[in-house]
Amino acid sequence: MAVEILKDRNPSRVGEVVLGATREEGGTRAYSLRVGGDPALPFHQFEGETVNRPAVALEVVDTVPEWPEELARCYRDVWQDPAQWAKKCVEEYRADLVYLRLEGADPEKGNRSPEECVATVKQVLAAVGAPLVVVGCGVAEKDNQVMEAIAEAAAGEKLLLGNAEPDNYRTLVAACMVHGHSVIAKSPLDINICKQLNILVTDMNLQSNRIVIDPSIGGLGYGIEYAFSIMERLRLGALQGDRMLAMPVLCTVGQETWRHKEAAAPEAEYPEWGAEAERGVMWEATAAAALLQAGAHILLMRHPRAATLTKALIDELARPTDF
Amino acid sequence: MPLTGLEIYKQLPKTNCKDCGHPTCLAFAMALASGKASLDACPHVSDEARAVLDSAAAPPMAEITVGTGQAAVKLGGETELFRHEKRFYNPAAVAFLISDTLPEAELSARLAAIRDLVFHRVGLEYRVQMAAVKNESGQADPFKRAVAAAAGTGLALMLVTDDPKLMAAGLEAAGQNRPLLYAATETNWEAMLELAKAHPCVLAVKARGLEALAGLAQKITAAGFKDLVLDPQPTSPAQAVADLVQIRRLAVKKRFRPFGYPSLVFAGAEDPAEEALEAALYVTKYAGVVVLKNVSRAHLLPLLTWRQNLYTDPQVPIQVEEKLNEIGTPSEDSPVYVTTNFSLTYYSVQGEVEGSRIPSYILSVNTNGLSVMTAYADGRFTAEKIAQVMKKVDLESKVKHRTIVIPGAVAVLKGKLEELTGWKVLVGPREASGIPAFAKSNFAA
Amino acid sequence: MLIIGERINGMFADIREALQKRDPRPVQEWARKQEEGGARALDLNVGPAVEDKIEAMKWLVEATQEVTGLMLCLDSTNFDAIEAGLEVCRNPAMINSTNAERDRIERAFPLAVKYGAKLIGLTMDRKGIPKDADTRLAFAMELVAAADEFGLPMEDLYLDPLILPANVGQDHGPEVLKTLQQIKLLASPPPRTVLGLSNVSQGCQDRSLLNRTFLALAMACGLDAAIADACDPLLTEVAAAAEVLLNQTIYCDSYVKMFRAR
Repeated sequence: MAVEILKDRNPSRVGEVVLGATREEGGTRAYSLRVGGDPALPFHQFEGETVNRPAVALEVVDTVPEWPEELARCYRDVWQDPAQWAKKCVEEYRADLVYLRLEGADPEKGNRSPEECVATVKQVLAAVGAPLVVVGCGVAEKDNQVMEAIAEAAAGEKLLLGNAEPDNYRTLVAACMVHGHSVIAKSPLDINICKQLNILVTDMNLQSNRIVIDPSIGGLGYGIEYAFSIMERLRLGALQGDRMLAMPVLCTVGQETWRHKEAAAPEAEYPEWGAEAERGVMWEATAAAALLQAGAHILLMRHPRAATLTKALIDELARPTDF
Repeated sequence: MPLTGLEIYKQLPKTNCKDCGHPTCLAFAMALASGKASLDACPHVSDEARAVLDSAAAPPMAEITVGTGQAAVKLGGETELFRHEKRFYNPAAVAFLISDTLPEAELSARLAAIRDLVFHRVGLEYRVQMAAVKNESGQADPFKRAVAAAAGTGLALMLVTDDPKLMAAGLEAAGQNRPLLYAATETNWEAMLELAKAHPCVLAVKARGLEALAGLAQKITAAGFKDLVLDPQPTSPAQAVADLVQIRRLAVKKRFRPFGYPSLVFAGAEDPAEEALEAALYVTKYAGVVVLKNVSRAHLLPLLTWRQNLYTDPQVPIQVEEKLNEIGTPSEDSPVYVTTNFSLTYYSVQGEVEGSRIPSYILSVNTNGLSVMTAYADGRFTAEKIAQVMKKVDLESKVKHRTIVIPGAVAVLKGKLEELTGWKVLVGPREASGIPAFAKSNFAA
Repeated sequence: MLIIGERINGMFADIREALQKRDPRPVQEWARKQEEGGARALDLNVGPAVEDKIEAMKWLVEATQEVTGLMLCLDSTNFDAIEAGLEVCRNPAMINSTNAERDRIERAFPLAVKYGAKLIGLTMDRKGIPKDADTRLAFAMELVAAADEFGLPMEDLYLDPLILPANVGQDHGPEVLKTLQQIKLLASPPPRTVLGLSNVSQGCQDRSLLNRTFLALAMACGLDAAIADACDPLLTEVAAAAEVLLNQTIYCDSYVKMFRAR
């Protein structure tokens, strides 16, 4: 019996952002990475090819983090040294890119100076060839000083710098403009604020192909479905031609996973939840699987095995289909 | 969506005979589309056209029930492509494969493991729905024995064999449990259909590719049987997602009748982690039933959590219980935070309080699932309300001190709350993310 | 809401003069002004006074597309003039218009398909504008069937249920709104809808008020496009607000600005 395969005609597509610059492109990265560009809903090969596969990032922190044992055992040997840590993420754990969080700049957690932070970024750049994402400590005033210095020191590298937030975006966006980087526009799980922030950032004349959205996902079991629906609406809006919703999306999967007890609580405490060695990995990878289908472009992960499983899943989803 | 004028017009004789009282077939089609005429007015419409037009009044996807009583599972009945448009209704049923070749002891161990797959978290209970007994022995007796044993799990049953004789044997053992018969194929469908009609139970239809599947489903429904579940037999996870999306789209957007039933897919990966992730893809994209092999709690809990999350009603805020929540092991000296019972708000606060590493209490006040500012604006998060809940949970006997922290966004409640309770009210940060720093400066030992 | 700027029309003295002198400046200035105002297509009509409508339409298309990439809506009862315009048009194009008469349909639909243009179909025949919604819908159905017959994508068909001035045919208003609602039942995906909006206030007082009020009413009934005064800021503000209130676009604080800038 004849079946008419339904293919949506989308008048527009998601924007494409380039991360990292090689020597020829004015930076020092071994390769650059493109994210976004999708002409259709995620992995709907039948109505538009997956132009760029979603990228998997692993997180590096410039201070020794207080992570659960299941994560700690993967990074303990390198976490005194962000450069070695980044190297392990790329070479051993095959991350597509590195997400460096400068927690140590926080006045409460070391109060590292902009110069020290610049030095850390340079060490990481020297240690790996992967494109780099750098975000601050979350204290607005300090981040402005730190990120401005980093943007200048790494001019030409096409870093992805964050986070530009509704009440603090000008300094970071200006620094990205001047020094050729892209910016993460982070909104608090609210599609209206997300759109408005993209407008404010583009109003400063930063082109929309240098913006990545961080919609602030909720973790699996903790509001992930809100993010899922926001991301579906973002993608549908982008495909219908709303340019202020059409930026690629970054999801902080690892951060949202490992702060909840389901990821790391010992089996002895919650026997019906199963072994914690697998549970945290699966908690993280399952969240990634869900978000991939809502339109995630960069998945920030923590556990290397969750990252590996997610990459394998992306490869599966991107395989050609019969129609 | 009902049929459009154009779709109706295509089913009409196009003779412009005026017997219906309209000047043209087009005008009649339009009158039908806008509900101003009845198809009965046309004496020339073919039976086939009438069937197409009649079925347009039916919902896009049938709701099918497998199992009976406590074990009954509702499948399908979906009307949307995206959960933000309305909501998804019947979460994908999770089924576990059991071979009838397992030795007695292994069989009962596996059945017990499946039966016990119940999880509790955040006040919710997650379960799996079906035991899928597969005939691998090629014989009737082991199949009967395994089916009878599976019936004891209290789960709905799925019987897996392409051989109608063996299926009949399995059905003897399944009794009146309204199992799901898997499956009717191009070669056995007539015999399978007889079995499904006779008992009666639900019939899965399997065929590789959407055209073959639609053809087979059409033949079976033409024979008057409509309790179906569809398996497009995908060759890869990517193909499975594509098939599931097309089945749902054709059902919802085109009212394509052969696909107006819930779908079923097997997760193919052998590795338990990969299998669970594959299942997560299918749960996300519309599967009615997902069949798994590996029974592993650590892999299933995230899958079932995601299923629960996906099927929540986006129009109804998710709420936590109104109570005094313990974070860590608080003592009578521990700080007390107040917030609303909107789950997102509560869990943001909970996460940050946990992050502060100071054992604490969080008082979640019932605001009907509104966030702090919305609840305040709506008059559901007032000093009176907070004071009342403090009394209700007997906070006075839980802590020695008399200090309580309110969200920074409702600092305005401080005076009134102090007046009502006699407690000291501390104004906390506006955003949950400020809690660790706040806790450190106020409560660190 | 697709606003099709109405101002480049030979009925206006400055455009008529520009056409006569082949002076592109007034045309181009109106193109720019309407685009800034929020128009996403421009209606081009050589007007009744011009002798050689074919050459005039070609010139108008070329003069306009020098300064804008907007869709051009070629407005004429003369299909030869429209085809001449389509031949030189590099921007996305729209044909304005055909009615539901068979000979017009047979010319207009193949033309739209050949040039990949959108097409406005008027719900009337040579006898004029129908009085009620049912008759309008009957013509709409004819046009929908024609799109199916000639292979014009349904999303490229814009049906115009034809509004009359409030001081002439007040009783037409509700009929037009009813027609707009029911047009969406005719096909899936549904055809789109358009109105020559300014006609509702022709010869009336407070024209902008009537225009924008009817725009809001019509949008709530499913109006997708309007040939309108794109330089009336109150009108585009209403269109922007209505899009938000009808959940057609995702709200943001700068919604008016985004409407004009997209």
